Amino acid sequence: MNDNDTVAMVRDSLATARDSLAGVHMDTPLDAIARGGRARRRRHRLAGAAAGMAVVAGAALAATTLAPSGPSSSPSGRGAGQAPAARLVAWTVDRQANGDITVTVRQLSDPAGLQSMLRADGVPANVTALGHPDPSCRPYPMSRALFTSVYQADKTAASGDTVLVIQPSALPSGVGVQLGAAVGRDAGGRGIGRADANQAVHHAVHQPAHQAGAHNSVVRAVLVYASQQCTGS
Amino acid sequence: MRVRGMERGPREFAEFYESTRDDCLRIVLLNVGDRHLADDLVAEAYTRAWISWRHVRELEVPRAWVVRTALNTHVSWWRRRRREVALGDHDTAMPAEQGTAVSRDLVAVLRRLPTRQREVVTLRLLLDLDTETTARILRIAPGTVGAHLHKAVATLRAAIPVHDSQEISK
Repeated sequence: MNDNDTVAMVRDSLATARDSLAGVHMDTPLDAIARGGRARRRRHRLAGAAAGMAVVAGAALAATTLAPSGPSSSPSGRGAGQAPAARLVAWTVDRQANGDITVTVRQLSDPAGLQSMLRADGVPANVTALGHPDPSCRPYPMSRALFTSVYQADKTAASGDTVLVIQPSALPSGVGVQLGAAVGRDAGGRGIGRADANQAVHHAVHQPAHQAGAHNSVVRAVLVYASQQCTGS
Repeated sequence: MRVRGMERGPREFAEFYESTRDDCLRIVLLNVGDRHLADDLVAEAYTRAWISWRHVRELEVPRAWVVRTALNTHVSWWRRRRREVALGDHDTAMPAEQGTAVSRDLVAVLRRLPTRQREVVTLRLLLDLDTETTARILRIAPGTVGAHLHKAVATLRAAIPVHDSQEISK
């Protein structure tokens, strides 16, 4: 058997293997691809605009950080354009001018408060505490493309903070977000990625040892079917 | 005739997506062996193609770009995943193919090939591109394509049982 015959035989065998997948179809609708593309393009433009404004903003930021501000232990929420009122809080919710919602979690205390804050910002949301899954919620199956169009991890966040940027406009109709505390097995770095067959995502939170104990807490972010019971709308 | 600009872009992309998505998914699935992962990789590749459609539509073989982008994304995700934590490692490897035992063995060997050899096999034998086109896409010399293909085929050949043509008749 010469080289060409061998190539032909391998080609035929691979074709047979591919034919065995005839029942496999790409189920992601075109709309989801386009929606993800638009969301990512918008973010790239915003990132470019933000970089352009950084020099101008630098002077103002320097003045802000020099101003005295007392730490707070209560969560806080702020609208677009408002200056940060406190930094040492369990979590903060910031609504950006482009409609994105930035959630910064240092400690997932008062989940009901965080849930109310997100809903007040127009996000169909459900927030659960560690060990208290909400039975009224049904997970929404999603691709990584859809996930990354809804959730973004802010890797520039300070150590100890988990920052998720939620893009409500990327949510399909009838779908909401669900955030929940969980316990991770690994005490390494921070990250965002798929965790199981339902494509749930964990985002690690580094907590001080006296808060986290022997475990490393994570925020589990998934999509769920929106309903009055689960997400409030 | 191709018309520049975005007027026909969405329609062209939609036609491209509809006509190539299943084939691209199956080829990526053969390479990675996990249905969920293949879905995600191909969706990610098409999302990038949507964003860069003006560039991708002008390529010699746009579907080869999609497959290659999906496979490259797999490599980068895999590297990044090793740095991620608290993922639970629940990514389940699903049985990807229901083919014959020979097919399964062959595909298992395909997945173990070095990246470049696997790229060459994917472009040459699964996407059925010629050596010159494969060389241009991979930006390597045609002779290098041939060398990679020769090595890859020799490895894959070992997974295919030999049937002796001299049968014993009663």
